[in-house]
Amino acid sequence: MSDQGLRIAGLRCSVEGKEILKGIDLVVEPGKVHALMGPNGSGKSTLAFSLTGHPKYDVTGGTATLDGESLLDLAADKRARAGLFLSFQYPAAIPGVKVPNFLFAARQAVRPGELTPAKFRALLLEKMDVLGMDPSFLGRYLNDGFSGGEKKRLEMLQMAVLAPKYAILDETDSGLDVDALKDVGESVKALRASDEGKNTGFLIITHYPRILQHVTPDVVHVMMDGRIVKTGDADLAHRIEREGYDKIREEVGAVA
Amino acid sequence: MPNLLVSGDDRAALLERYRATPSGREKPSRYFKYDLEALAIDAAAAERAGGSVSFEQVPSRAIVCDLQTARRDHGELVARVFRRALEEQHKYAWLTLAYGGLGAFIYVPADCAIDDPIVVRYAGDAGASLFPHTLVLAERGARATVIERLELGAGGFACGVTEIVTGDGAAVTYAAAQFAPDDARAFSTRVARPGRNARVTWATAELGAALALADVAVTIEEPGIEAAIASLFFPTGTQHADVVSTVDHRTGDAVSETIVKTAASGAGQARFLGNIRIAAHAQHSNASLRDDSLLLSKRAHVDSVPALEIAANDVKAFHGATVGALDEDALFYMTSRGITRTEAERMIALGFFEPVIEHFPTEALRDELRATLERKVGDA
Repeated sequence: MSDQGLRIAGLRCSVEGKEILKGIDLVVEPGKVHALMGPNGSGKSTLAFSLTGHPKYDVTGGTATLDGESLLDLAADKRARAGLFLSFQYPAAIPGVKVPNFLFAARQAVRPGELTPAKFRALLLEKMDVLGMDPSFLGRYLNDGFSGGEKKRLEMLQMAVLAPKYAILDETDSGLDVDALKDVGESVKALRASDEGKNTGFLIITHYPRILQHVTPDVVHVMMDGRIVKTGDADLAHRIEREGYDKIREEVGAVA
Repeated sequence: MPNLLVSGDDRAALLERYRATPSGREKPSRYFKYDLEALAIDAAAAERAGGSVSFEQVPSRAIVCDLQTARRDHGELVARVFRRALEEQHKYAWLTLAYGGLGAFIYVPADCAIDDPIVVRYAGDAGASLFPHTLVLAERGARATVIERLELGAGGFACGVTEIVTGDGAAVTYAAAQFAPDDARAFSTRVARPGRNARVTWATAELGAALALADVAVTIEEPGIEAAIASLFFPTGTQHADVVSTVDHRTGDAVSETIVKTAASGAGQARFLGNIRIAAHAQHSNASLRDDSLLLSKRAHVDSVPALEIAANDVKAFHGATVGALDEDALFYMTSRGITRTEAERMIALGFFEPVIEHFPTEALRDELRATLERKVGDA
């Protein structure tokens, strides 16, 4: 068995003493798009934070490896340097830290020494153009006073600039208008079409199937009450769109 | 002793006023080493009174000279600003007046716009005491930026006053960044009295000295004024910084913005008292006070006390404050992008000051502030 992929086995996680993840098994292969769907409170975001190493999320069991490297013992910055990326649902605002300075520091950390500042700036402008972002973003502080749509675009810009091996998009589609949603879809497609990102594996966490009109998933998982209760192909997402989660809940007998 | 401007009798009277005036600071809590009421500025400090003033980038269209020359050659102009902005309660200003002599006078004629900042440099030898009094008089429609540099020697003491008086529609930015040696003491009192529709900005930084005391104020007595106070201070080691800002809206239809960023590390102590006063008849005043404090060690202490006294009923007044350690969510966000925790802490701590740094003129001065802050963050 190859050790390639973002491989999660038996993952359990508690937050403030309450068990949220009750044994997650999931493998995202390089270059594949997985969708993780489920009702609110099913544990989707907890999975994202426990994989990326948020200190408040206490992993109590199981394993998670990235192309063979164990993630769970690493600090968050080392997980990112291993190639993991999380697009935050609610990214933090950091006044005083300008967008390009932050992005350059992150790029240098993840891909050290590849780019001069001038080449980095050219790359940044090119990626911003793809995302339809105004160059005035470069003069602003990180997420400070950003609208919801601007924050999501900045998350997508970071994904484009860092070109991770595995990208987790946590509800990146929530609260977006049709245009912004399309831009998120385009940015996933653009990364997949690029040299750096052609083998990137995606885990797209979403409550609604809207984003999946723009990015067709190879695999769809449904999560309820801290477990993955159903796995299928893109049709499963369409079914959820038609029927909602209740029907699946009845089928699997989950208590969520 | 330099050439004092006051006679011995006057000095005795001024010193009496100094002793009789309360500092406006509360009694020290268990956190503070200094009892400012009891702080004796002894005669020995006064005997070491000295220092010199020099200028850079003196524009031909303005009058820029030392205070003694100004009093001799431009007495009528000096009289329009000397002790015109100061008020009775400015305790430490009485001390400056008592030992008055060192100082600078800057006069900008009507409608004269001076682009390059005028630099006023006060310098003193090791152990010297400086009592500099800086006067800025900007006539109607004049525009100028002043940067004050204070170069104290080891163990030095400074107790300075700056007064700004402007005509209608003038614009003055005054920046003072204090980088005194760790064993020095630096006191300052800065008061502006702008004219109608004038703009005045104070940008101050207290980064050096064992004890830094700063009063910075704008008195609004004309409509249409736009006043800004931007201040940062960062006691590290065993430093103590104590800053009081005051915006006094005595007339309505004016806007003020006070923005203060305080960090403390080591056993550093900082106290900020932010006064916003809006008089009963000062309707349509618009005042904001934003102060944020960042604690970088467990032994550091910051007291941040906003004091809004609003007697008018048709005003906008905003106050926002935060006190805390570095935000864990922000740190996680940055580390999740591959940035080490140490580097993330450094970036967030430096970024914390940027909204104030932006108010300082010239990129060179801003970079000097950033470099000093970076060093202080690194020592934390």
